[in-house]
Amino acid sequence: MRIDMRGLVIGLGLTLFSAFSAHAAASCGDNNGKAATGEPIVIGAITGKTGPDDFSNSTRAANAYFDCLNANGGIKGRPVKYLVEDDQWNPETAAQLAAKLVNDEKAVLMVGNSSFVECGANADFYKKSGILVVAGVGVPRECFFAENYAATNAGPRVSTLGAMGYALDQLKAKSVVCIGPNIPNVGTWSCDGIKSLAKEKGFTAETILMDPGTADSTSIILQAAASKPDVIILGLPKGVTIPLLTAAEEQGLNQTIKFLSAASAYDLSVPGTIGAGWDGNFYVNMEFNDLEAATPDNQNWLAVMDKYGQSSDPRDTFAQAGYLAARIAEKALMSLDPKDITRESTSAAIRQVKGFASDIFCAPWYFGDGQPRHNANSTTRMAVSEGGKWKVISDCAPSPDPELADIRAFEKSAGLAP
Amino acid sequence: MTFLPFLISGLGIGAVYALSGVGLVILFRATGVLNFAFGAFGAIGAHCAWQLLEWKMPLAVAIPAAVVVSTAISFLYGRIFAPMLSHRDTVVRAVGTLAPALVLIALMGIIWGELPRRLQFPTDQMFVSLFGVRLTYTRIIAILLAVVMVGAITLLLNRTRLGLDMRALANDRDLSAILGVRILYTETAAWVITGIFSGFAGLLLADLVRLQGTFLTLLVIPAIAAAILGQLRSLWETAVAGLLIGIAEAALTPVGWISPYRAAAPFIIALVAVTILGSTAKAVLKDR
Repeated sequence: MRIDMRGLVIGLGLTLFSAFSAHAAASCGDNNGKAATGEPIVIGAITGKTGPDDFSNSTRAANAYFDCLNANGGIKGRPVKYLVEDDQWNPETAAQLAAKLVNDEKAVLMVGNSSFVECGANADFYKKSGILVVAGVGVPRECFFAENYAATNAGPRVSTLGAMGYALDQLKAKSVVCIGPNIPNVGTWSCDGIKSLAKEKGFTAETILMDPGTADSTSIILQAAASKPDVIILGLPKGVTIPLLTAAEEQGLNQTIKFLSAASAYDLSVPGTIGAGWDGNFYVNMEFNDLEAATPDNQNWLAVMDKYGQSSDPRDTFAQAGYLAARIAEKALMSLDPKDITRESTSAAIRQVKGFASDIFCAPWYFGDGQPRHNANSTTRMAVSEGGKWKVISDCAPSPDPELADIRAFEKSAGLAP
Repeated sequence: MTFLPFLISGLGIGAVYALSGVGLVILFRATGVLNFAFGAFGAIGAHCAWQLLEWKMPLAVAIPAAVVVSTAISFLYGRIFAPMLSHRDTVVRAVGTLAPALVLIALMGIIWGELPRRLQFPTDQMFVSLFGVRLTYTRIIAILLAVVMVGAITLLLNRTRLGLDMRALANDRDLSAILGVRILYTETAAWVITGIFSGFAGLLLADLVRLQGTFLTLLVIPAIAAAILGQLRSLWETAVAGLLIGIAEAALTPVGWISPYRAAAPFIIALVAVTILGSTAKAVLKDR
């Protein structure tokens, strides 16, 4: 076979071009390309990997970032030893693993946690042990109502109300039905937020709690449509959201009612799955920036995942959350004397984190020193399903959740917000 | 709030429960196996149909392909593995079917992932409106298919040699063997028939509920509930029970206090059925 030299050169050129242009090189820590060799700094994490769903994308991303950091000088020469444990969605296991990481392994900090059950199981233990948690993804209410636990994500309630804010401001909604899962401190928590906002702003709101395991989505949608709402807000896992939208389309409701969702449905494959019937009709809240945003930090996250993660690790919002948690930990640890990195000094450094800016966040993240609870990520964007993709359609807007009053007051008093 | 719309919305799924329940009963009558993998057989067929449609194949190819795949897997299990367990207890034979179910769940998870897909038929867009609810043609087809297949199987059992053999096997396996019933042939035929049922049920459930391996596999529970209500014997009773379970689940929706838990309805119905029918069966035994 004759080799076409011209074709070969062009092909090679294109390959090189694509390799270099895909993402900028990963940038971490001192970015000096020298592997850290000193005494390791132990950081722990608990995630729900095996169980009803795999929530470990957050710790996978944090792990990739710490690997990148360790290959680039670590924390002033000391590498991070990142220990991730799987709570299997079992609170008892979560408690045992926390004891193991904190008491036996002597972790100085927890980073990137992402679990449905461990906030409730471990919040008191973390407080007693004097260890702080910079979590990735918090889901139930307990994750946002603990003194030592701060997540980088907004949480289902703040996200659901972020969607509600858009429905009020842009879609001029006057009546809403909120559909949530019948899981304690998740579904009711989010939909109660819509109800209390309804009282404050004077619109009508109804709540439907559903078993996520039900096979019959049509009945739920019929029940929701019975009160003839302007919008229906879903605060459900994406695996439950898709069948509900399918049932709604079957009943022709995609043409008469606008559907919105919390960030749980923000997955790149969702618009293609639900199809063209939802173009311009299904809106989601985004806890972070567009997964494909060309902004520097977002590109660095993708570059870190490409170089230090597995190619099978999902590039999703959970991973963005874990990456940010690792970056926040890095920033706090870098402020310390490397010889004096203890749980006490690390906790003190995390408490001082203020104005951690990243283009993946809408607003700078902070820990909230002295606060009994934390919810620094409460300003979010919206996207709409269009042509098989998500299209970002709003600027960052604060979530109108009435429960955020204490958080907003703190932000004002600490000079974190105008 | 009126219950009528919910009766209509429960009809479609009820019909598929009926179809699945009948598929289970046929196999149980002929072989004594309660097939827990029924849902998984259907699910893998439905996934194959989705994949073919993704590859732009016509629906006329995808649907038969799904049924063929489900039937082929059912046939392979029935021909290769089931005979190895044929002399064990009913419980062992039933639990044995969990193995293919788990293998297929894992396989579907690896190939297609856990995010539900959407399997759509053109009949989803066509509908008749009843009590303010759209009854899609897919749901009507599900109901008709359930009736037609139950009718066809009743004829098969009552009018053919194969049916006679199946009924003989169901009564007494050893005696049937002595009388010259071709056991392996008859049992394999039952696995093929249940495979065809699972193929159709899988396709319809994937369209009406969601195309997700684990979820479709677990939908065997309402089908088992229907089969138990039919006392694992009567096809028509099973079909009616399946329909009623679907309707019962839907009709609980507007009842505020129970609505969030209505997905448990098939389990509770099955439990009550086992308790009541179990004690009547014992009473019958005492009378003998």
